[in-house]
Amino acid sequence: MKTLLHMQGLTKQYGKEKAVDDLTFSLLKNTSTALIGPNGAGKTTTLSMLAGLLKQTNGTIVFDGEVTEDIRKVIGFLPQYPKFYSWLTALEFTEMAAKLSGVDHKIAKQEAVKTLEFVGLSDVKNKKTGTFSGGMKQRLGLAQAIVHKPALLLLDEPVSALDPIGRREIMNLLKELQETTTILYSTHILNDAEEMTDQLVFLRKGKLVEQGSMQQVREKYANPMYKIYFISTEEAAKFVEISPWPARQEDSIAFIHLEEEKPVMNEVLRVLADSQLSLLKVERATASLEEIFLQVVNKDE
Amino acid sequence: MNNFSVLFQKEWRENLRNFKILWIPLVFLLFGITEPLTNYYLPQILNAVGNMPEGTVFPFPEFTPEQIVMATVSQYQFIGMLVITLGFAGIISRERKNGNATFLYVRPISYASYVYSKFSMMCILVIGSVILGLLANLYYTNVLFGPVDAGAFVGFLGTYIVWLLFVVSVVLFSSAAFSTAIASVVSLALVLFFQFIDALLGAYWTISPWKIPMYAGYVLSGSVDKTPFTWSLIITLLLVVLLIFGAVYFAKRNISKTKI
Repeated sequence: MKTLLHMQGLTKQYGKEKAVDDLTFSLLKNTSTALIGPNGAGKTTTLSMLAGLLKQTNGTIVFDGEVTEDIRKVIGFLPQYPKFYSWLTALEFTEMAAKLSGVDHKIAKQEAVKTLEFVGLSDVKNKKTGTFSGGMKQRLGLAQAIVHKPALLLLDEPVSALDPIGRREIMNLLKELQETTTILYSTHILNDAEEMTDQLVFLRKGKLVEQGSMQQVREKYANPMYKIYFISTEEAAKFVEISPWPARQEDSIAFIHLEEEKPVMNEVLRVLADSQLSLLKVERATASLEEIFLQVVNKDE
Repeated sequence: MNNFSVLFQKEWRENLRNFKILWIPLVFLLFGITEPLTNYYLPQILNAVGNMPEGTVFPFPEFTPEQIVMATVSQYQFIGMLVITLGFAGIISRERKNGNATFLYVRPISYASYVYSKFSMMCILVIGSVILGLLANLYYTNVLFGPVDAGAFVGFLGTYIVWLLFVVSVVLFSSAAFSTAIASVVSLALVLFFQFIDALLGAYWTISPWKIPMYAGYVLSGSVDKTPFTWSLIITLLLVVLLIFGAVYFAKRNISKTKI
């Protein structure tokens, strides 16, 4: 697959602090990439540099095979807190955005109407943006970012401020866009990245700490274990004492972490059967997305 | 001039919908009308409500029509300039602070068009308002105090417009270069405070942008000294051009100060 954008050694320094530190990764054409990291990890700074709002201290951005100074012509950008001119209507604003991004003035209005329909704002297209709710603003923000059909869409926390319904709607829109657009978006919620992301890039303190597809990351950090539920805390404690494998206990549940798929469950069950303890349930579990997130962003360098 | 028309349309809609296009002309119109009216009717007003003892006689000075027009200009020079500097100090900086400007700056706009769109809108509002105010003033002066020479008035208006261009570009430059608060202080200093300094110490020089309003008065009364007047005009227009270029430069340089 073709590389649309490659950044090499991207660095942004404020005084002594490095907000983004030697970041190198690529975006393949028509794939989506999630920038994941806790607050202050450098996600917004990275997106701002790509959008041309900030000048990098060091490093290059190569777009479609060329080192470029101004990629503003081919990107759409949605800031984390989109602010609109409250005295413009949604249609006027989107039309202006289209014209300023180089859409032919004759078809700009038509494109704006189509885009507003796509994001579901047709009903309120002639209302002033000052009256819009958070979810409507986010959709309008998306509309202005896609109205000129950019090759690359940069979204800063597109769903973090939304309720579950709004989040789902935006995610569905992004899924649809993904077929024709390369998307790079930031989030601090790994679950949001689960369904539509081809590549995950984890940032911590400006540095890239992990990168790969969802599946690769899951496999690497899945940390499989047996969860053994007992009838009481005492029973669980007794099991931890007699267990031939390292085990730990939380309330009435005992945990055995697998190492290279050992021990197998039969062995565990045999020990349990011999122990005469009151067992409720045994299951094989893997780390949740939230746990994976914490593991990745807290792991030692 | 790519995108100028789109950006200008945005400025136009903004000033239309926040009613600046209404209240700024009203301010200038009000001061334009009150000056001849109060000067003419002051004796009657004092007689009617002043509680003067019987037989008090005030020697009211006789004003020439030119003096009335210049009295209006001196009102504009203080209150009018205050309205302009404070009313427009945030014209660029506020967009940056709000984060509104993010939507413009991530698009391939030319910063020159961006600044020119603001400059044009300000010129239309400010110069339009002053012309409106002065024409109303001229009408009442004509009715109450007598005619003003038309040629002299046009010359005076042209000169005063050069001063207004200077004020507009100072405000625009400050707003591009600084935050709204600092921009207000800087443009107030450059427009009002320097005028005051020039009035106090200005006897030592004859060429200065802050003397333009005074020269405009001389043009009106037909007693202007051509050489310092012409040089002041040239210097001021050069400064206007420099300030506009400066505004474009700073508008671009300060992109990174935009709230994202």
